[in-house]
Amino acid sequence: MDAVLIIQSLISGIMMGMVYALLSVGFSLTWGVMHVIHISHAAFGLLGAYLAYSLLEYFGMDPVVSAAVSVPLLFIVACGVYQLLIKPITKAKEVIVASMILTFGLAIILENVMVLIWKADPRVLTPTYASGALIVGPFYFQYPHLVGFGLSIVGITAIYLFLKKTYTGMAVRAAWQQPEAAQLYGVNLYRISMITFALAVSTAGAGGISLALLNSFEPHSHNLWLIYLFLVVIVGGVGNVIGTAIAGLLIGVITGLAMAFLPYQWVNLVTFGLLMIFLIFRPHGLFKQGV
Amino acid sequence: MLHVDNLTVCYGQMQALRGVSMEVSPGEMVALIGGNGAGKTTLLNTISGLVPPAAGTLSWEGRPLNSLSPDRICREGIVQVPEGRKLFPAMTVEENLIMGAYLPTVRKQRQESLRKVYDIFPRLADRRRQLAGSLSGGEQQMAALGRALMARPRLLMLDEPSLGLSPKAAVEIFATIRRLNKEGLSVLLVSQEVLETLAITVHGYVLENGVVAMKGPSAELREDPQVKMSYLGL
Repeated sequence: MDAVLIIQSLISGIMMGMVYALLSVGFSLTWGVMHVIHISHAAFGLLGAYLAYSLLEYFGMDPVVSAAVSVPLLFIVACGVYQLLIKPITKAKEVIVASMILTFGLAIILENVMVLIWKADPRVLTPTYASGALIVGPFYFQYPHLVGFGLSIVGITAIYLFLKKTYTGMAVRAAWQQPEAAQLYGVNLYRISMITFALAVSTAGAGGISLALLNSFEPHSHNLWLIYLFLVVIVGGVGNVIGTAIAGLLIGVITGLAMAFLPYQWVNLVTFGLLMIFLIFRPHGLFKQGV
Repeated sequence: MLHVDNLTVCYGQMQALRGVSMEVSPGEMVALIGGNGAGKTTLLNTISGLVPPAAGTLSWEGRPLNSLSPDRICREGIVQVPEGRKLFPAMTVEENLIMGAYLPTVRKQRQESLRKVYDIFPRLADRRRQLAGSLSGGEQQMAALGRALMARPRLLMLDEPSLGLSPKAAVEIFATIRRLNKEGLSVLLVSQEVLETLAITVHGYVLENGVVAMKGPSAELREDPQVKMSYLGL
């Protein structure tokens, strides 16, 4: 086999994997902290990608610049979604099941809204540097891929530092580890849940923009993204940010190699197969769960 | 300071507390004893705002506490060390302590509070970077007590602080609680160590099946034949 091709696909796999990680980290947090399996998480990520697309088409805003607009916007939207839809069901007996059904419906609504606004055609983000590439010896890195990769690293690092270094981030971890004690020391669980949810949705938006820099997308792309979310979170351990990052990289590399060396239709078979193997043999993932 | 009046608490159909009345005066250390399932933890959790009362009133310095959320009650200076300690296991000792000073009202003084806690428990200072889940039982109780002190309590409620500890660690914890009380902190102490608890408190309440079966000065409760038989095995 060609060594250059192997290394090249390894590197694209790592880039792709970091993007999966950013897309998944919020999914993992809402699942771990709130026991909400947020099926429309990827759809919100896709919404981030479409916002970046429109801001680029109509205002010529670079995706990285427009992320500074769309990510906070998604944060506000998500606060509203939490108050209106998620908060009422967190009182349900089976929060996980209720949240899955509710957010599945939300995903369908979002998908159709995106079809209405942006049509069902596939889109690509074409910033000014879209056709450029960094060439190092026999390897080449397309600029949009590098930017998407960079955005993911920044996003993951920001989430990690937020959880470790800020009071609110510590409250998120405390609420996951021991909700009752967290309340006793003044943590308002609803407020923390809202922040967790909104932050998760914003990172999904940033992840969606990153992914859109690497791949084309259409209104139903989030269904496939969702499978990757589950795979990454299950391998990485629910609520574990570092685990999510490593799992994302791992899965990125595996799919990257599969794409290079297997017929295209086999790639999803590999990912679904991997998901099944994990669910059967290591349902708690490679790393320990926890925020 | 704290007045509980005719408090009733229900879990579904079951009444966990029925018409409980009690009080804690400033600077006082009050004992709450009783068997398993008597409602001691329920009473503390109701005062802390984790469990809503079905009837009756709770008041703090003359103001009603009913229907305040747990964070508001903590802000009032009523702080609980829960049964089983309930530390944040995947956080370091220092992070656990800092979480005790989460509320903005006490957050500013957290460095000073931290120094105080490390003064009281030098062992916690040695273990500050260790995960709370990896501590021994005695150290965990110190961390739990330290976390509560970080919240600058005016009334400290302790639920079974000696449960699962070695006798030596239990003696240490009781000595610390006593010292804190001597320095002016009001304490509500729930414990199965009836003899020890009645020895260090001024007043006591005996809870049985959700009602106050007996109350009075701790010294008298210790001599009460009923208490001796039920709780001291004498």
